[in-house]
Amino acid sequence: MSISLPTYTRREIPLLGRRHRLRAIIVTGLRREFKRPAAIVTTGLGVGLVLVTSIVIVLFRGLFIPGQPLDLSFFIVPASNQAILFFVTLMASVVGSGLIAEDLNSAALTLYLSRPITHADYLIAKAAILSPLIAMIAVLPLVLTPFVAALLGLFSWTVALEAMGLAVLLGFLFTAFYTSVTLLLSSLTRRKSYAAAGVFAVTFGLSIPATILSLSIGNPAFLYLSPWEDYLAVAQAAFGASARQLDWPWALAILLAATIVASFVTYLRMKAVEVVSG
Amino acid sequence: MFGEVRAVDDLSVSIPEGAIGLVGPNGAGKTTFLRLLLGLVRPTTGTAKVLGHNIAEGIPVRERIGYMPEHDCLIPDMTGVGLVTLMGRVSGLDADTAISRAHDVLQFVGVEEERYRKIAEYSTGMKQKIKLAQSMVHDPQLYIFDEPTTGLDPRGRTEMLDLVRVIANSPGRNVVLSSHLLPDVETICKYVVILDGGHQIAAGELSQLLSGAADRLRIDVRGDRVAFARRLQETGVEAEATPSGVHVTRKPGVEAAIFEAAKALGAEVRYMGREIRSLEEFFLELVERSEAVVGV
Repeated sequence: MSISLPTYTRREIPLLGRRHRLRAIIVTGLRREFKRPAAIVTTGLGVGLVLVTSIVIVLFRGLFIPGQPLDLSFFIVPASNQAILFFVTLMASVVGSGLIAEDLNSAALTLYLSRPITHADYLIAKAAILSPLIAMIAVLPLVLTPFVAALLGLFSWTVALEAMGLAVLLGFLFTAFYTSVTLLLSSLTRRKSYAAAGVFAVTFGLSIPATILSLSIGNPAFLYLSPWEDYLAVAQAAFGASARQLDWPWALAILLAATIVASFVTYLRMKAVEVVSG
Repeated sequence: MFGEVRAVDDLSVSIPEGAIGLVGPNGAGKTTFLRLLLGLVRPTTGTAKVLGHNIAEGIPVRERIGYMPEHDCLIPDMTGVGLVTLMGRVSGLDADTAISRAHDVLQFVGVEEERYRKIAEYSTGMKQKIKLAQSMVHDPQLYIFDEPTTGLDPRGRTEMLDLVRVIANSPGRNVVLSSHLLPDVETICKYVVILDGGHQIAAGELSQLLSGAADRLRIDVRGDRVAFARRLQETGVEAEATPSGVHVTRKPGVEAAIFEAAKALGAEVRYMGREIRSLEEFFLELVERSEAVVGV
């Protein structure tokens, strides 16, 4: 048998930059996710159900929420749709929980980080795989709802555009929180199932006890523990709806701080992982 | 340094172009040395350059390196061609070039028919070849192979060594081969760096390191090697018992003294000739000497 090494006439072509390298990881990652039935079903059901329920609420507003004024504050109703919380949590656990955990488990992290990218590049790419999927549930239906409402002539375009802008900001806040927390949980284990359980624990393990404690003790401050309640407090303030029990600046600060801290800890955790092991 | 552990210390070596073997017992610092080469850790003191780039730069160094890890590190739900293409793109190749080169290198390593199958379905030998292919796809100047024959059967090992040899013998390409299998290193490499306890205990051209001085003989005896050496010393011959045999300094009449000592002890001289050691023998001698120094 005679073997010879492939030779390339384009060997001296300069390599493309880091943005291109990250795009390759992101595109491949998204393609892999959309080959998994669980991710397809979660995305389809999540976007569909949130969008349909939001539009139904708009169409039958008189039936479901009599007395709700038809101004900007109306859009707190679709924004506080519990289906958003459920499907964002499901998406984070189905897709996000494995993004780093599976690379740790298969040691594919070694392949990525022995390439010309940094730990931060790797994390940015992983975040860029998860965040559009979460945003499809947390942002897209909330933007489409005022758009459809304005098309049907139920709201003025001024109100609809304002609501769409606020929906983008609120959706991105929620997306950023769940992306960073999910990646943190995923980086802490080699088992996707543990990280997925952690995502549910963050959502429901914090929200349910926080609600019970605040009701039984009579102190609403416990609700700050719940990311969903923090999000609702910020959304209420943004849409100018009647004030809830929580102060929105504190709620916003908690969500932002948790997002930043989770991202930073994930970065430190990834730096601590031994890429080349003997 | 890792916490209080100094993994590699006082390592000063200039590695020439070509195929270089990196050998040492467990904990010798080989892995840390590879991490340094890849720019994944920075030395606490001192500097190092790889292909003219300071290792602290990281990315420019890794652009020129193809790394084949020791452990299984492939993404099981990807196809062979998909993974190699992805790694090409992450190295900075455009999509078309990455796909084209992925097919080339998969053909080179002999995973042509199976390239569209998922890696989870591959045998150990095929997985090793995919690991080799992904290290080659961006046509690096320096290849780092970490135990490339791990887990392979004799046929797979021969195939892998053939591939590594072709790469090592190609102009403009350099190979660092880290292996516990010293015959592999001896087969492929012209130059060797031996580490132990984080220190470099030997480095140089393999042919020079393994050939002893012309005035030295190596004797392989069946019998008590230590007693044989002691008997020779009593007759005024400079002799040393090592795991690889008894090493004797030539002088007039030494041959007669050797056979007399053997006769007196009832030992059998099975080999007597110029001191040429295998890498394994040389390595064991060095490690033994190194341990003796630490013991003192």
